[in-house]
Amino acid sequence: MAARIDFASLSLMDALDLAVLIEDEAKERYEEFAAQMDQHRTPDAAKFFRLMAVNEAKHGQELADRRSQLFGGVTPTVTRAMVFEVEAPDYDQARAFMSPRQAMKAALASEVKAHAFFVAALPSLKDAKVRALFEELRDEEVQHQALVKAELAKLPPDSGLSDDDFVDEPTAQ
Amino acid sequence: MSATMTTPGEFQAKDYKSDLKPIWCPGCGDYSVVQGIYRALAAVGRPPHEVAFISGIGCSSRIPGYTTAYGFNTVHGRALPIAQGIKLANPDLLVLAAGGDGDGFSIGGGHIAHLIRRNIDITYIVMDNQIYGLTKGQLSPTSQKGRTTCTSPYGSLENPVNPLLYVLAYGAGFVAQASPTDLAGMAATLEEAIRYPGFAFVNVQSPCVTYGEEAQQIKGLKAISESLSAIGHDPADRLAAMDLAQHYGEKLHLGVFYKNPEPPPTYDALIRERQAQLSQGALPKERILDLFIKK
Repeated sequence: MAARIDFASLSLMDALDLAVLIEDEAKERYEEFAAQMDQHRTPDAAKFFRLMAVNEAKHGQELADRRSQLFGGVTPTVTRAMVFEVEAPDYDQARAFMSPRQAMKAALASEVKAHAFFVAALPSLKDAKVRALFEELRDEEVQHQALVKAELAKLPPDSGLSDDDFVDEPTAQ
Repeated sequence: MSATMTTPGEFQAKDYKSDLKPIWCPGCGDYSVVQGIYRALAAVGRPPHEVAFISGIGCSSRIPGYTTAYGFNTVHGRALPIAQGIKLANPDLLVLAAGGDGDGFSIGGGHIAHLIRRNIDITYIVMDNQIYGLTKGQLSPTSQKGRTTCTSPYGSLENPVNPLLYVLAYGAGFVAQASPTDLAGMAATLEEAIRYPGFAFVNVQSPCVTYGEEAQQIKGLKAISESLSAIGHDPADRLAAMDLAQHYGEKLHLGVFYKNPEPPPTYDALIRERQAQLSQGALPKERILDLFIKK
């Protein structure tokens, strides 16, 4: 059975491990999305999803390094089975022939979702250090949202037309 | 420490993920289903080489190739008899079968009853999207009445098959429903199905993002979904399960409808028992012909 996160008993080591796993899941999902876009010949969206995967990996590595400095090689007690689409975009966010704008909006929705996760967890936390970490992670999600919004702002103005009006339906597999 | 951590437990979800990249349409519900299967298998903890994954034909039937288990993408509607043969030939294997609603309830519909009555110990996962997606959107056995497709341009005149009532009526010992609207719940349900000793059926409402209707997409499914445990359903109550199953297509009940609290012996267990009985008086191999010679 999928283990649930007991926020009240979360130690700083557990919290760092959890944060690494959340980034890891998001990185993998963006890589999957990039592969899906490659498969459907949508290189611009694939490029953006790869950029997101790199960012998630970088953030995950920073957290992993911090964990390593504080706790060395102590065996983790939290598992990937506890993490379900916290920062990873939901599978139904992907679409064939996504425009860069759609891809960025999907990523933005995921950053908003991750922010909501940390906000919702805060009242249950007992350990002051864990609380401080979660507040930090919550604030980082706001920064990530700002980064995606900045990328969105670089795009030409939205034509207001649906991208679906300009694509052929996917070919039979 | 690497960003990818090793976690407690011998197997992780990634151990069941093959290098083959899925070619489903982006947004397809089957991406969540295969993720749920990876996680359920990791939780059960059987090594990939002890798992056989059998499918029919259709978008969803590509699923064995995306796992590291032994796989057989068979012929249309025939996943179950082949899965049955594999289970009986090697009862130690953990056998999963998968397919779509067309594969399972149209061309393959006749097979389900026989696996249920024999209680073959396999888990059958149907990815129910109410359409033939691979062949570009024809009416399927679970399509709603009135549905307009390329084969029903004026709207379907047929009532849909109810997969849940279908298997409950035949006496399946484990019947559940899941959906990509709740990935954690789906992984838990699949794990419970795999652990059930006998024929286990999981209907997964897996939206077709290309040919499915708006109401059948994740947002629409979320609006009609209801957790069976949250409404206090007792999975040991078969009649209550049948009552709830009647709402298929109107409500999306998620979780276990029915789980036989006293699972009967599986078919392969009965075979082994019979073999043990017969072997007591069996002749040596070189004297087998004596059985056919009148003395």
